[in-house]
Amino acid sequence: MEKAALEWRNVVKKRDRMELGPVDLKLYENYVTALIGRNGSGKSTLMKLAVQLIHPDKGEVVWFGERYPNGLPAEVRAKIAYVPENYIAEENGLKMDDAAKFRAFWYPGWDWQRYEELLHRFEVPGDKKLNKLSKGQRRKFEIAAALAAKPKLLLLDEPSSGLDPFAWKTMMNEIRRCVDEDGATVLLSTHIVEEVRRMADYLILVDKGRSLGMAEKDSLLERCREIWISRDDELLDELPGVIESAIESSGMVRFVTLDYAGAAALLDEAGVKPIRVRALELDEVMEHWMNGSIPTA
Amino acid sequence: MRIPVQINESSAEPLYHQIETQLRSLIVTGQIAEGTLLPSIREFSADLKCSVITIRRVYQDLENEGLLRTRQGTGTFVTKVDTDDREAYKKQIVQDAVRELIDTARSVGYTPDELRLLLDETLREEERR
Repeated sequence: MEKAALEWRNVVKKRDRMELGPVDLKLYENYVTALIGRNGSGKSTLMKLAVQLIHPDKGEVVWFGERYPNGLPAEVRAKIAYVPENYIAEENGLKMDDAAKFRAFWYPGWDWQRYEELLHRFEVPGDKKLNKLSKGQRRKFEIAAALAAKPKLLLLDEPSSGLDPFAWKTMMNEIRRCVDEDGATVLLSTHIVEEVRRMADYLILVDKGRSLGMAEKDSLLERCREIWISRDDELLDELPGVIESAIESSGMVRFVTLDYAGAAALLDEAGVKPIRVRALELDEVMEHWMNGSIPTA
Repeated sequence: MRIPVQINESSAEPLYHQIETQLRSLIVTGQIAEGTLLPSIREFSADLKCSVITIRRVYQDLENEGLLRTRQGTGTFVTKVDTDDREAYKKQIVQDAVRELIDTARSVGYTPDELRLLLDETLREEERR
């Protein structure tokens, strides 16, 4: 069994606009997990719990197998980097490089070369004050600083918002490097389908403060297909995993199955060759997952 | 390096199997030469937009078959392929394609004789070009 870098055990947290939990989730070590769900579903709350910016009302958070109800010790905090959705105001008056020096003090593994290299690639000048940066530049600084900290656990709350496509690509490559070379575990909250497709190994879906579970990305996507066949009502009744179907013309029917392997085997047995097979997009899969059609443990 | 694997989403064949079959044939036909260092599991998975879990399975299977070897700290390499194996694999690939052809012919009601006739005819046309 895979080791967990982080666990939320039966966590409940009441927030202004929603209540999170009880949530039972874990992040497997050295994998990238994408946290997906609508706005206000509890994604940022999960992240904040993971850096103890807030504490659970009930349940507990476990870091690398240990719990720290009295505060994360500096050496554990130094293994975690977090790029929040909204930044901490105290640093606003600082120049970027001074803010970086402050962080370098807390992170013994801080890599100046990597920091400089990333700012250079992002084309952000290090002598500017944080509150004078554009939204995208600030985001780039935060990402550079998070990666320079050489974290073992990297938490990114919608990191790509405000990034241009070139910076986005650099970020994706650098996150990958961090996982590959430094053995980091990554949690990435995102609305961008392409980000999930390219980066994620596991998916966690949250909806209205509740977790709908975790799934391995490929096996989830592999199950879902939309298929067109010559009309055969009897066969359609027997096909497994069908969650919607429509008669497209007198001679043709279209259906969506969540058990493609099973459906394909039955079609093959019946000697029926599909007219068209389409893999569902991630957002469509998410919708079926949210309305309860896809059970995941 | 970027490996030319093409994923067919309409195929009922599992993803790991598609990748495995294509990578195996690239190695066996010598298109990826002996001694080549393959991309890391995470690089390859990003390239194909699949998870590392899938690629790890592919590398492990091909390692068990003796086509790949992983050296700790350096990466995964292509090992030597026997000439006999190479011939057998080539035959396998063509045979699979022929089976596919037979399925298609059968689905539109062609008899084996009709298929043989068509195959001969097409081969003659190709030779004349």
